[in-house]
Amino acid sequence: MSILASELSGFYFPPGSSRCQGALAHFSPDGETLRVTANGALLTEAAARDVRISSRLGVLSRKLEFPGGGLFETRDNDGVDALLEGRSSVLARMEGSWRLTLASLAVVVAGVAWLGYYGVPTGAHWLAMRTPPAVARVITAETLAAMDNRVLLPTHLPAARQSDILGRFQRVARWQPDSRRYLLLFRNAPDIGPNAFALPDGRVVITDQLAEMSRNDEELDGVFAHEMSHVIHAHGLQSVYQASLVPAAIAFVTGDASQAGHIATILPGILLQAAYSRGFEQQADDDANAELRAHGEDPGRLANLLERMEQATCTKGVCLPSWLGSHPQTVARALRLRHGLTH
Amino acid sequence: MDTKPLTPESSARHTFRFEGSAGEYFKIWIVNLALSVVTLGIFSAWAKVRSKRYLYGNTFIGAHAFDYHAQPLRILLGRAIAVTLILIYSLTLVFAKQFIGLLYLIFGIALPWLAMSSLRFSARNTSYRNIRFDFEGDYGGAFAAYILWQGLAAITLFIAFPFAHRARDYYTINNHCFGSMPFSAEIPVGELYLIYLAGLGAFLSFIVGGALLGLGFSWLTLRPVLSTVTAVEIPAYVLGFLTAASFVGARTLDLALNNTRLGKAFWFESRLSGLRMAWIVTSNLVVSLVTLGLLYPWARVRRARYMASCISVVGPAELDISQAAIPAGGSAVGEEIAGFFDVDFGL
Repeated sequence: MSILASELSGFYFPPGSSRCQGALAHFSPDGETLRVTANGALLTEAAARDVRISSRLGVLSRKLEFPGGGLFETRDNDGVDALLEGRSSVLARMEGSWRLTLASLAVVVAGVAWLGYYGVPTGAHWLAMRTPPAVARVITAETLAAMDNRVLLPTHLPAARQSDILGRFQRVARWQPDSRRYLLLFRNAPDIGPNAFALPDGRVVITDQLAEMSRNDEELDGVFAHEMSHVIHAHGLQSVYQASLVPAAIAFVTGDASQAGHIATILPGILLQAAYSRGFEQQADDDANAELRAHGEDPGRLANLLERMEQATCTKGVCLPSWLGSHPQTVARALRLRHGLTH
Repeated sequence: MDTKPLTPESSARHTFRFEGSAGEYFKIWIVNLALSVVTLGIFSAWAKVRSKRYLYGNTFIGAHAFDYHAQPLRILLGRAIAVTLILIYSLTLVFAKQFIGLLYLIFGIALPWLAMSSLRFSARNTSYRNIRFDFEGDYGGAFAAYILWQGLAAITLFIAFPFAHRARDYYTINNHCFGSMPFSAEIPVGELYLIYLAGLGAFLSFIVGGALLGLGFSWLTLRPVLSTVTAVEIPAYVLGFLTAASFVGARTLDLALNNTRLGKAFWFESRLSGLRMAWIVTSNLVVSLVTLGLLYPWARVRRARYMASCISVVGPAELDISQAAIPAGGSAVGEEIAGFFDVDFGL
């Protein structure tokens, strides 16, 4: 270690004391020992390797912590770096450079985009595809238990109508690879209105309101094909995993766990999940579209039904803007169904 | 406070100062964030320490600043445990709901420990002029402050909430010390009631105002009433909650500080404005969201600068005490888990 010509000027705090005095820090002539002196009097000294020197951070004072508890503090950052002979923190040099700051910004943007577009969806998909069927059955049972007799009431549909619809359902199920997993449930749901939804284990709920709204049972074929696509791709399970992966990813990326519950991070999380959900809906629409065409049916009938469903729910007053909605806009969905997948 | 030993002539007012700059903090923040992203979050513990060091190191009283000494590895360990617990919690929530009651019981027992150890960790890793802070609260005190009083507040439909707030403040403030000097607070609960009532009033006025705005808008534009009112109520609710929470947070902190003493010779003075703080917090959030987080460092610096400028220590001109033992350690686990569950601990 070479002998340092210059000395650092700053303050010295004796061990355990907050009373400080102006002092100088410098190496001993052999370069092995760090000394703190004031007016020529030695205040403390220690082997250089035993002195803890804080890393450079902005224009903050540097701290030289001596083994006994003495503390030397100086604002001479360049002097301390010279003392360290270029062993100054790489991090501090990165933080000091606008060019590396811009590169970091690019890395952050790319990383966040990768997580949002690829990382989280892929992780959720991977987990959903490996979730045992028993778990899907438990989730389905719990979801139904939570909804039955609250928003889902026993059906009012006549038995004959039920068996007509069930016949169509079973016909569409036979189009699917594992046709026996699908089970149709009828429920009266005045609070939900005309709708149908799939549960993870293959059960599909159709509300009386939707059955009554369909003018033509071929319209329901499209609904069933759409819901079965959700089951095949395990969209329900994927949403469950996304819901826990999104906050986890945000907490990790921001590097601050407490941000996970903060409104500034919850809001983007909600928007991201809505976007994922719209992706699932589009996939289910596209699957239904292809299946209906393959079996000589007109996907435009599903489009008609979707338009009537929207009219019914929107006049009740709850129409979310598209960027907040769990489904793509009906106009776009209908167009895509009527004109094939190229639109 | 009739026991103040100092006459105004012999005492000095040391006002806090925040000297950090938004540009400098931005560079530090983004570089460390990029490293956290590249290392899949592992570096985030180092990033957190650097960020805190910057914020503490720029908070001055007189010629000297605070310092933060936490070891990143301890924070990483705490974070790993926190992630495991979160995972257990979310998996139980999805796959084994019948055990969720048991899990809440375990968390209820663990929560006071988390609060206690995170307070201790923060305190012991904070110093000013070579003197470390310490936190000496025990589990029993934390259990009373965080579980018993909160439970009582819930049972009384939050009528007793200001008492619970005061119990928590007493636990956090009165167990802190700076070297050998203890902090002590004596908070008039009546004023806490007034602050909470004002906060409630602010929140309700946002809700009512939002409803009126929605009605007026639907009447003018002939849009469906329910959907228009809903569209206005959602942001009104968020803004109202944010405003009320930051107002109450600033006013209660102000009240606590103005009734806190340090040792025998020092006391605190604060002139934090609830409205100003609500404005800063709300506009900070909007600015951060609109710029996709890019102006978050600016927002943080802005808030720190305002808060520091409002708080003073009053006492002898020379802040100087002698103390011996510096407690080493504390546990980072508490702070990390508490952060994840967003239970707001601390002053």
